[in-house]
Formats: sequence, structure tokens, C-alpha cells
Amino acid sequence: MIFLKQYSNRYVAVNQLFPKSKNRMKNPIYFLYIIILTLLLLIINQPINAQTESPWLTWPQGLGFSNQLEYSYNIDTKQEIFENWLNLDYTLGMFSSGLRLDVFQPNDPDPSISRGKDKFAEIDYIYFKADIGEKNEGISVTGGNFYTLFGRGMVLKSYEDRAIRIDNNFLGLKVTGKYDGFVLTGLSGMAANSNNERKDILHALDLEYRGWRPLKVGATVASNLSPSEEAARTTLASLRLLPSFWNIDMYAEYTAKFNEDIKQSIFNGSESIVGQGFYGNLNFYFGSLSLLGEYKYYDNIAFTSQDGTIFYNTPPSVRLEYTYILPNRHPSPLNQADEQGFQLAVGYNLSDDTYLTAAYTQTKTLPPSSYYQRVSQINIPVSTQLKEFYVSGQQNWSEDLTTIAALAYNEELATNTKNITPILENRFYFGEVNTIKIIIEHQHATDRTTTEQYYSDVLSVEYLRSPGFSVAVVSELQTKEPEPGRTVRKFWGFIQTGYKFGGHTDISLLVGTRQAGNICIGGVCRYEPAFQGVELKLLTRL
Amino acid sequence: MKILTTLLLLFFISASLHSQDQSKGIRKGPNFKAENLDGDLVELNAELGDGPVLLSFWATWCKPCIEELKEYKKIYEDYKDKGFKMYAISTDDERTVAKVKPFVKSKNFMFPVLLDTNSDIARLYYAQSVPYSVILDKKGLIIYSHLGYMRGDEVKVKEIISSEINK
Repeated sequence: MIFLKQYSNRYVAVNQLFPKSKNRMKNPIYFLYIIILTLLLLIINQPINAQTESPWLTWPQGLGFSNQLEYSYNIDTKQEIFENWLNLDYTLGMFSSGLRLDVFQPNDPDPSISRGKDKFAEIDYIYFKADIGEKNEGISVTGGNFYTLFGRGMVLKSYEDRAIRIDNNFLGLKVTGKYDGFVLTGLSGMAANSNNERKDILHALDLEYRGWRPLKVGATVASNLSPSEEAARTTLASLRLLPSFWNIDMYAEYTAKFNEDIKQSIFNGSESIVGQGFYGNLNFYFGSLSLLGEYKYYDNIAFTSQDGTIFYNTPPSVRLEYTYILPNRHPSPLNQADEQGFQLAVGYNLSDDTYLTAAYTQTKTLPPSSYYQRVSQINIPVSTQLKEFYVSGQQNWSEDLTTIAALAYNEELATNTKNITPILENRFYFGEVNTIKIIIEHQHATDRTTTEQYYSDVLSVEYLRSPGFSVAVVSELQTKEPEPGRTVRKFWGFIQTGYKFGGHTDISLLVGTRQAGNICIGGVCRYEPAFQGVELKLLTRL
Repeated sequence: MKILTTLLLLFFISASLHSQDQSKGIRKGPNFKAENLDGDLVELNAELGDGPVLLSFWATWCKPCIEELKEYKKIYEDYKDKGFKMYAISTDDERTVAKVKPFVKSKNFMFPVLLDTNSDIARLYYAQSVPYSVILDKKGLIIYSHLGYMRGDEVKVKEIISSEINK
């Protein structure tokens, strides 16, 4: 990767020397991408039964690839976005390696996604891994880029989620050893910041032990070393317990944060920790009944790089996430520094055809006595950040008809709104392979700052034909009454079709307009502006 | 121009893959180790050899996944004694992994469920979203993969499993 980046940088100099060739040789990595695709095409076109006869251009069984392309053109803003991720992976016995080539030309204009680059093609992920030993005893070594998760992510969670364009992979070395019930993982690596530079070095160690079947214990230590010699390192340490007996499972993790600079400058050395967090959950299941309770207390445990643009930890957000459109309209982003709250959820199967579920969550900010407020030197009383209630029931009336009725209620502080959303979904099945889904969502929103009320209605009609075809028409109407007697209505609508070529390719095309909104996964959100135009998605894999 | 070139190449790759006889398998399913709901490790390579293996990537919050698993439950009951193995790989991450075991117990799913909390296995199999199903033959070659679920998809899955068992 370093070589390619250096090569890319050097290329500018070549272009300056030979200005006539500038256009042709603008993106060497893009040409590498085209060469890879061409080679894949040539190899795939060798008949499979000839593979054993010809030593050339035969598909190695250990080789896999995936190409995800997303293209959109916004007619309104005349904005074109082209994003492409190509993964190549190869496995040979205990060894594996792979790379991901990213081609964004032009990139998403959102600075948090583009990281300052309009057009680029780069190898953004490359690794080599050796997995030596047996199932329960052995060692695994990964060099290059890697992801990792310790416990529930209170201290460290490195992951990729393309839906929200998150990728905080590390470039470095990770070693995991297993022996006699112990699992020990050590890593050192650097994640890329908002300018796509890897500066801070993170070291982490995690030990897990299961010597007695009903109990697993674990401990993690992670420390971020900033590039500035004057700044102290930030360290998080945690201890977790996972007891499991009869029909009960529990999880409890406590985390403490250390930083010498804060300790001296804020607390004059009188307190040894500068933040603490706790997450616990309790599950109970009996027959068709399941109960879940979760509690969180995150006080100043955001674990970031020195410049604050890389988040190393993502603890459980303890929020509800919805598969429908409107309940997601007023999301509440996770704040690892200033949250306390809980969730209670119950699920019950009345019969094979009837399923009920209900959940309630609450998230509040922390009191002035918290580390967060003392370190930030603020004094703000506790306020309710988010309150959510969701209840749904599913009834399979017959082999041909299923109904889901749901009600979502939330109060959200960031947008200061109160939202009530009833939902009705009906699925009609006919001819073994055909489904028609009709979903009606209505949302009554009250802006608690202005007391303005408005309504949103979404109607989705979808036809699916197994195994490979789907078409959906989604329309949304928003009705506002800014002043009594004056009604303002806005309409958005799009048609989306999907088709599968065999088992290797999925293509989807969207045409129309779409309301602006946030896509949130685990409290991490990505804003999607309003859209009017065409969107094409193509996923090919082997 | 670049976009057009890319699209054309991808189109030809897709068409070429489509014309291949998928039932013969091209790529070997990458090996993995994952914990089941009881905390025991399962390794894929150790499970190969008896018959076809179905990997079903799912999550508790995914409605089509639940529909699909209900159908796979029937297939599992029909073929589990004939060498067929199935692993429902939960991609629930730290925010919803707590719900996996209660959910599986309340639905009375009898097939093994594995936890893939940081999507390490999903990444190996290019499961960009869920539900995503993969069938491996006795040798571990991928002979079927399918993204998404619509009523009727299980017919093809059942057909492939039955054919592999009778080979």
C-alpha cells in the first residue's frame, strides 16, 4: 500500500515532466483496477472442465472476488457520484491474503466520506494472514490491514460498514493465540484519520478465559499514542464477565479511562481515572417467551485519536433500530462521552403464526458530577436525550397472507420532536414464487420548540418474484401547516427494480426522488441529502 | 468513459459467471472458526465431508432473514440425518448480539447458530447484506449463493441440497 501511494505521489512528478500524457496517466490505480477486471474476465471464460488440463488462466479454488459498484446522478444538483470497491482474496491452506481496491471518481462530496479527495483510486486494505494450529489451540498472525472487536466494543471496535461509509481499519500487526481455554490477542496499528493519514499508534491486548463452562471472563487494555510528543497517551482498560446458566445469560463490562494530561490539568492529580463506563445485559428465555434488559453508563469514555477524528470504540448504543422508513427519521446519534440509559424488550410467540414484540428504551445525559462535565468544565442538568417505545404483532392468517401491525413512539432531543408512527404491512403470497408487499406508514411529528405539527405518509408497494426479480414503488407525502389555514405539501416518489444474474450478480436501479434523511447503524449516522435522479447498484461476487 | 468501461467489464464478467455451471463450484469456501451459542468453537473445515453445508447469514433485526430461517428450519429437519449440515451465522454486532440467543430459543430453531459479531465471516464470503445464503458441497466448494430472500427461494435451496445428498 505504501509503495502504491508513493507510486501515486511520484506519478504527479511524471505528469509534470510529460504534460502531454497527463490525461492518459492520471490514475494508475484505476488502470490497475481495469487490468484486474480484464484478467478476471479472461480467467472466468475458460471452461471449468478445462481448468485441470490447462495450467494457464485457470481459476484457483482459493481465489475469491467481489465488486460493489454504486453510481448516482442527481438531476437537481447535476452531481455525479461513482463509488466502487473491488475485493480480491486468496486462501492456500493455513495462509490467506487479500486486498481491497477503492475507486471513487467522483467521490461523495460529503467531507466525512470523501476525506478531502474528489477523484481517487487506491488500495485501501491489504493483508496477509497465517492461521496455524487446531480449532481450540493455535496461533493466528495478521499483518497489514485488519479489523477487530473486543467484548462489546467498549474499548475497541474496528470495522467497516459501507452503508454509513465507516472504515476505521488498522494498519499494523495482530496476533491471536489460543491455549487451554485462554484466548490472548495483541495488536499494534494505525487507523486513518479524516485526512486519510495514519498518525496515531494504538496498542491493545485482550485476554479471554473460559475454564469453567458457565462463566467466561475477559480483560482488555488499549492505549493510543499520539504523534505529538507533548501529549500524554490515552488508555482504556476494561473487565468483563459473561455468566450463563439455566435459561439466563448475563454480560457485564466495566471500563476506566486514563490520561495523565487531564488528570494533572483538570483534577490536579487527585483522581486517577478521567472517565468510566458500564454496560450490562440480562437475558431470560423460557419456551416461547424471551426477555431482554440492557443498561448503559458511558461517562467520558469516547476513545479517539489525538485529532478526535477516529473513534476506536463503539459501545452498544441501547437504541431501537427499525426496518421501516419513518421511525428512522429522527435518529439519536450515540455519544460515548455522555449517556446513561436502559432498554427492556419482550418477545412472545403465541403460536407458530402469531408473534408479539415490545420494547422501551431511554437515554439521558449525565449529571454535573460526571467526569464528562468536570473534564469539559460545564454544568448542565440531566436531560432526556431519547425515549422510544415500539410494539408490533405479526399474524400469519394463512399460507397466502401475513399482516404486521406496529406502533413506534419516540421523543428525541437533538431535533426536539415527538413522533408517533403507526405502521401496517400486508404480504400476499401467490403461485409459490410471487409476493406482493404493501406497507403503509404514517407519522405525526410535533416540533416541541415551535409546537408546529406535521404529518408524513409513506406508501410502499413491492412485487417480488423468486428467485431474481423485484420492483418497488415508494411514495412519500409530507403535510405541514406553518400557519392555520395554510397547508404545504411535498411529495417524493421513486421506483426501484432489482434483478439477479444467476448466483453471482445483483443489480438494482432506482429512478425518482427521495426525501433527505439519516442512515443510522448502532447510533453511528450518515446524512443522505434529498435526491432526484438515477441510482445504480451492481454487486458481483464469486 | 471510465464509468462506461467499468460497467461494460462488469457486465461481461457477470454474463460469463452466469453462463458457468454453478453446480460444479469454482471457489472453495474459506475456512473459519466461530463460537456457537454455548460458547463452543466450530470450525468449517472440520464439518465438511459428510454432505452439503448451508451457511445462512442473518440478523435479529432483519425481517426477511426470519422468514428465510423459518423455511430453512423445515429443510434442516428433513435432511439433518442425511449428512446435511446447516449453520445460521448471526451478523448481529455489539448492539444486538444480546438478542440472538433469546430470539433463537423463543423461535425454537434447532440448527446450530454461530456468532459473527464483527462480520469477519461475512467479509470472507462477501455477504454485503443479509439475508445471504451459501451452499458448499462435500468438498467445500461454493455451489450456490443468494442475496436476499423472497418466498420461493427455498425451493431452489432444497433442490440443491437434495441433489447433493443423492450424489
